[in-house]
Amino acid sequence: MVRRYLRLLGVQLKASGLQALQYRADFFTEGVTSLFWIFTALAPLFVVYGKRPEVEGWSFGEALLVVGWFTLLQGLLEGAINPSLTGVVEHIRKGTLDFVLLKPADAQFLVSTQRFLPWRAFNVLTGVALFAYAFWLLGRPPSLTGMLASVVLLGTSTLLLYSLWILTVSAAFFVVRVDNLTYLFTSIFDFARWPSSVFKGVARGSLTFLFTYIIPLALMTTFPAEAMLGRLPLLSLVGAVGGSLVFAWLARRVWRYSIGHYTSASS
Amino acid sequence: MISVHGLRKHYKVHKRPPGLKAALRSLVHRTYSTVKAVDGISFDIRPGERVGFLGPNGAGKTTTLKVLSGLLHPSEGEVRVDGHVPRLREEAFLKKIMLVMGQKQQLLWDLPPAETFELNRAIYDVPAVQYKQTLDELVSLLEISDLIGKPTRQLSLGERMKCELAAALIHRPRVLFLDEPTIGLDVSMQATMRTFIKEYNEKYGATLILTSHYMDDVAALCPRVIVIDKGLLSYDGSLDALVQRVRPEKRVVLRLAEEVDGARLAPLGKVVTHEAGTAVLQVRQDAVNATISRALSGLPVTDLTVENAPLEEVMSELFAENKARRQQAEAEAASAGESVPA
Repeated sequence: MVRRYLRLLGVQLKASGLQALQYRADFFTEGVTSLFWIFTALAPLFVVYGKRPEVEGWSFGEALLVVGWFTLLQGLLEGAINPSLTGVVEHIRKGTLDFVLLKPADAQFLVSTQRFLPWRAFNVLTGVALFAYAFWLLGRPPSLTGMLASVVLLGTSTLLLYSLWILTVSAAFFVVRVDNLTYLFTSIFDFARWPSSVFKGVARGSLTFLFTYIIPLALMTTFPAEAMLGRLPLLSLVGAVGGSLVFAWLARRVWRYSIGHYTSASS
Repeated sequence: MISVHGLRKHYKVHKRPPGLKAALRSLVHRTYSTVKAVDGISFDIRPGERVGFLGPNGAGKTTTLKVLSGLLHPSEGEVRVDGHVPRLREEAFLKKIMLVMGQKQQLLWDLPPAETFELNRAIYDVPAVQYKQTLDELVSLLEISDLIGKPTRQLSLGERMKCELAAALIHRPRVLFLDEPTIGLDVSMQATMRTFIKEYNEKYGATLILTSHYMDDVAALCPRVIVIDKGLLSYDGSLDALVQRVRPEKRVVLRLAEEVDGARLAPLGKVVTHEAGTAVLQVRQDAVNATISRALSGLPVTDLTVENAPLEEVMSELFAENKARRQQAEAEAASAGESVPA
């Protein structure tokens, strides 16, 4: 079972790699866009920290770690999660999801692995480079346990992002046009570039609450950055693992329910 | 192989009159109505049978096919395909079937069809030896060896459809649902597709359900037809018997050496067309012999053929009959409602 799906993943990866290579010009524009996005991720940080040494207890170097995680996850989101799931919305609208549902393999797996943008790996590497730069600024290496914890959190963050996307896409079965929803999602994800505590002052902390428990952005970028700095409480780590598993389970349930309501499109 | 009993598929759709005002009102208050796409149909199909689904647009043909292939959940009724309940979408079931849709494509748009074949091989777990054998066979039968290496977007509609069919058959499905597989194709391509589909059915004993608006497809492929109209089954049986029932008359086609006055044709039967030296007469079956001998003796006939009425005409007459019957039933129901005292 696992071997079969690994093989399927391999075939799907190969097909999307081939698709990415099919258009040479696209390949290069993708590269330039990646660079541009990394710059836009950093710019606000320079603006904010130009005048003050720290914001809500986060120094520039520490906040840079959060941006590093943001960049890394953005690479994962736009390279591995977003293209496939945007494809689902297209499938639903055109009715070609029929072909996915006709295949004798898990439909969620098939739609989630149908497209990758390999060039987005650039963001992931930049994220790693930002970590190195941040620790150089901080003048100390990360703790070993902190690094291990952050690797675990990389897993939970990816799972969370993916589950949130599945939930968003499931809405497409009912409302058909979810382009707006996907834009909303990417806009909200933008908040994840800041340490979650900077929102403490907004509306009596309700934003922090929202981003921790409802749309768990804090879990995705602030938690792993804190883990690297060695100051994430163990309870938060356990909470993140448990929370992401619950989210994934919920997303799966919603997806299964939504498929049952698929009405297909005109012949 | 396939059994359907009391199948119903009803949709709830949101309805609103045209116009901005109605659109705004519908944001707050939505009115729904129920569309009965399929409203209680039953039939059984034996293994290896080729069955044509006929019906006007919106009759419920595609909906039925989608229920049979597990894409749509039935609102009511029992559906079995080779012992499986389609809506459960078990892997064993999905490996046995395939739905080919003339208006939708599964081939990866930017890549050559060969990549889609490879992908399907992996998804359907087709053993390497069988894959090679099936592919070789499909490629030679459909004559697509030059095409499978070109990106799909560069193929013509006909070329793409042949590759679609190949992609659908990589796993040798035992039940094949074909939803207008020849739509938009030219006449010779339609013929190629028909021959191929028939060969596949005969070679692998696959069960086949076909919907098409081209009656030639149905006549060439399907000894049995099921007619669905407004979600109801209106005929199930052989195509010949259907033609006999709706249009018992035969057509006598006369080719004439010289122009003949219409008045000389009229006594022979109902004149359907008469132009450029060809006359088509509609004659009751039991009068065909007499008509032929009278025509041969009294007219300058150079050639003569006896045919059934064109299927298109038979079908539109059947649909018209159904419609008239429905309207009458509705009118009767309405008048019965009025006569009941309040």
